[in-house]
Formats: sequence, structure tokens, C-alpha cells
Amino acid sequence: MNVQVLDRELDRLEGLWEQGLSDTYRSYLEAVGDHEPEMQPKLALAAALIEVGIRLQGLGGHAAPAATLLMGDLCLARASRLLADNATQAVQVAFAKAIEGLSTAAASGKPSRPVRELLVHALSATA
Amino acid sequence: MIAGRLRFETSHATEFVDITKLVSQEVRRSGLRTGRIHLQSMHTTLGLAINENEPLLLRDFQKLLERLAPGDAGYEHDDFARRFEISIDEPVNGHAHCRQLLLTGFATLLVEEGELVLGRWQSVFAVELDGPRHRELAMQLDGDFEEKKAGDADSDLIELELARQLMVDPDPVGAPMRRLMEAGGKRLRPKLVQLASQIGPHHDALRAASLAAAVELLHNATLVHDDYVDESTHRRGRPTVAAAEGAERAIAVGDYYFAKATRLIAEIGNTGVTSTMADALEAICAAQIDDVALRGAFPGDHDSYLRVVRGKTAALFAASCASGALLSDAPPEVVEALRRFGELLGVAFQMADDMVDFSPSSGKPVGLDIRQKVLSLPLIYAAEDRSVGPEVRRLLAGSLGDEEVGRVTELVTSSDALRRVGDEARGLVDAAVRELESIELDGLRPTLVGIARSAVDRTA
Repeated sequence: MNVQVLDRELDRLEGLWEQGLSDTYRSYLEAVGDHEPEMQPKLALAAALIEVGIRLQGLGGHAAPAATLLMGDLCLARASRLLADNATQAVQVAFAKAIEGLSTAAASGKPSRPVRELLVHALSATA
Repeated sequence: MIAGRLRFETSHATEFVDITKLVSQEVRRSGLRTGRIHLQSMHTTLGLAINENEPLLLRDFQKLLERLAPGDAGYEHDDFARRFEISIDEPVNGHAHCRQLLLTGFATLLVEEGELVLGRWQSVFAVELDGPRHRELAMQLDGDFEEKKAGDADSDLIELELARQLMVDPDPVGAPMRRLMEAGGKRLRPKLVQLASQIGPHHDALRAASLAAAVELLHNATLVHDDYVDESTHRRGRPTVAAAEGAERAIAVGDYYFAKATRLIAEIGNTGVTSTMADALEAICAAQIDDVALRGAFPGDHDSYLRVVRGKTAALFAASCASGALLSDAPPEVVEALRRFGELLGVAFQMADDMVDFSPSSGKPVGLDIRQKVLSLPLIYAAEDRSVGPEVRRLLAGSLGDEEVGRVTELVTSSDALRRVGDEARGLVDAAVRELESIELDGLRPTLVGIARSAVDRTA
């Protein structure tokens, strides 16, 4: 995959890319094979941004400091825009439901399924 | 028939909470003229009673309950070793359950001419027996309701859709959001969605209400995170989610409603709407980062202010107008004109909001923005002012205690800053209104203009 395709999508997140977002992105590339080739990098990046975003926020753990939380929020928002522009309605809904589930578990102090497992599952959603 | 919930907090182990006003408000809000309101406690340690609100008498009642079911009488219910499946935080409250048995969990009150029918000395009490706790009463109103005015229908639809969405959410995330939404809010963004959704050829009131509710949920989700970031303790007169339930809960609640709102928008199935809202959300988050970064150079300058406000506030106003129009299949030039209307209105709205920080009659604590070092145009203008500027800048550079905040407020109020901000906000509203002149609005222009004018007229 050509990472240059993602240049615009990494605006303001370049530091995160160096700090592990790139590895997370690569791990999701394996899960997007069933989607149109031009969509694959964007969908993998959306999933990676959500995983990194909620980790930055401290969802389900200790709350992040304000500035880090806002960076996590931006990751989620960027992912949401990537999905809006590139994913089917079914995938968009599945991603949203995954975050709803993770947030509910965090608010209830209950464990949830691993984030990556949930997001890989969301990538395979069909109408 | 109208159904709903009454929610309130109790503050003592045993407490007679007078809910007469709360119930009366619900009756008035419902428009019930002649009929009944039925109340039902949703708890096994909360009773209902109608009696006289006289403090000594309430103490007599409390003593009576203590005599009939003393706290230390040794209740089998409190013998956890003999019970199955008890939660880790199970309270020792056998006495409270027994006391509830002496009361009732139900009440039906009559309503005539829109008012509760109560005798001179009668008040309605929720009787807390195991507090303090969050409490909830189920409520149903039936009878003859007054006819609604035509304009009320759309607002009602938004409120109904919001209530419907919030009702199905799990309590750990839903309860804090319900409290935030019930505390008020102007619902400006959903109103803009609904109005704009009537402009194109295909108006669908239910889809518009769904989008409007999603926009309001998204807005409130951003507020929950903002309040944590700004260390705000109160919003709309109530403790913020972060202050009441901790930062971890606030993050989860914000994330849940961010996700839920994006899901509701996706489910509408209009790609233009989905993209418009996603762009706005991204702009809001990027602007929040800039806003916090600019606090190092507090109070900042006019250009930085506009850049942040366009993202932080105006993006969602613009998206609300544009997405409503897109939903109705309005022509592209109409969508763009409404988008520009929303953006100008959003910036003007934020400027008016900044001015509220200096208005003692606003109901909000004066000087909160100064204390929290929030970007504020009156402060920027006061810092630039030839006469008060040097002192404002000096004070803002130091630590801001009550005395300093009070002095800065005094200096801003005595300078020309508030007049300049007011003029600028009204100028933006004029520009927003001009955006509407070139497009066909099917009779909605006066309402949109009215909303725009009222958005900047709220310092009192």
C-alpha cells in the first residue's frame, strides 16, 4: 500500500504515525482485503485511528490529561470522516456500535472484548 | 396520554422531598387542562405521600417511621450470608424496605384548568428512605390537553426524538446525558436542522427530527469532553459530568454519544449529510486543540479567535443548516447559502456568548472565561485598548484569583470592548441574513432571521 495516499489524512497526526499508528494501520490492512482496493488504506487507517484514539483518551482506564484527550478526540473524528467518505453504511454503523459498546463497558467498569477484535469484525459488516 | 420520568437527587438517608413544584411544572409543560397525573415510584425504598410541608411535622413523620421500623431491629434482609446473588455494594437497608411498606409507591393527582388540584395545606412528597441517591418516578398524564400552536409541533418532535433516543441508552452513559439534556439548552442547532429541512422539495419531518436529535446529541457529547478539558464544575446550573461522576465516566459518556450520533446520522442514509456532519466534527476537534494551545498566549488576537471559533462553534451551526437542506434535496446554491448563513451565525453566537461572561444578569457566574483562560473577544479587545489594555495584559499574565478576575471584569466593562464585540456580532448577523436574500425559502425567512437576531441578543 502506498502510504502517500494517506498524507492528507495524517495532517496534525504525523507524530502519532511515528509513535505506533503506522504499525496499528498495517495490522488492519490484513482485514480490509474484501473492500475495493482504493478504499482499503482509508478503512485500515480509520480502524487504526479509532484504536489509537481511544487508547490516547484512556477510555476504560485512567483518564488522559486534557491535551491528550483532545488528540484522541481528533483521531476519532478523523476516523469518522474517513468512514463517512469511504465506507458502506453497514460498516459505518458497525464501527459506531463498536465504540458505543466499548464506551458502555468503560462507563460500567466492565471488561469488553478486545478493541481490535471488535473493529476487525466491524470492517466485515454487510447490509 | 403523555408519559415520562421525573428525576431528582436526594441528599439525606431519610428525607421528605417536596416535589409539588416539579409535578406542577410537568403538568403545565404537558398542556394538560383537565385530567389526571399518575406517579409511580421506581424504587423499593422510595415512597410517595401527600401531606403538609411543615418542618416539625416532617420530623414527627420521620420519628414515626423510625419507631415502627427501627434501623437497628435486626432485619433478615441484611443477613448477607443467607442471601444469594447479592451485589458487592448491597446496602444494609432492611429498615428502609419495611418503612416503604408503610407508605405507598403510587399517587394519582387531579388536574383542573391546567393546575394540580391540592388542598391549601397539601404538598406532594417523595419520601427517601435509603438516601442519598438518584431517584426516578414514572409519570403518566391523561385527560384533555390544550391545542398546540402550529410552531410548537416541530420543537415537540425534536424533544420526543431526543427522549426516545435517551430512553434506550444504558444507564451508566444515559443517566448523565439525560441530566445534562434535561437541564436545558437552547436547541438552536436542531431547530436550524428542522427549518432547513423544509426548504427543499422533499420534506420528511421524522427524518429531520432524527437528524436534529443526532446533532443535539453530538453537540452535548462535545460539551461533556469540553467540561473536563476546561475543568468546569457546573453547566446549565448543574454539576458537569466530569465533576459529578469523574473524568473517566465523562470520557466514556462523550465517546458513547459521539458514536451514537454518528450512527444515527449514518442510518439516515444520505451521503451528503453524513459527510457534512463528519467534516464539522473534525473541524470542532481540531479547533479544540488550537483553543487549548492558544491559552499559552492568552488572551490571543482577533485572527486566532476567528480561526478557533469557526471550528469550535460555527462549524456545527453551518453543518446543521447545510445538512437539513441536503436532507430535503435543496439545490446546491441553497445548501451553500445556508451553510454560509450558519457559519456567520455561529461566529456571532459565540461572540454573544463571550459577552454573557460579563453580564451579572445572565444567571452565569461572571468572569468564568477569564478564570479558565478561555478565548474571549471582549478580553482580546480590552487587552488592545489604549487606556485599560496595559493593566488587563498585566493581570492576565499573572495568577488569576478572585480579586484579579474581578478587576479584569471591571476593566473590560469600563472599556469600549463590549460595545465593539456587540457591534461586530450584529454585523455578522446582518451578513448572515443577507445570505438568505438570494434564495427561495418558502416562507421560512422570518423564522430564520428571528433565530439569528435572538442568538446575539442574550446578554440580559
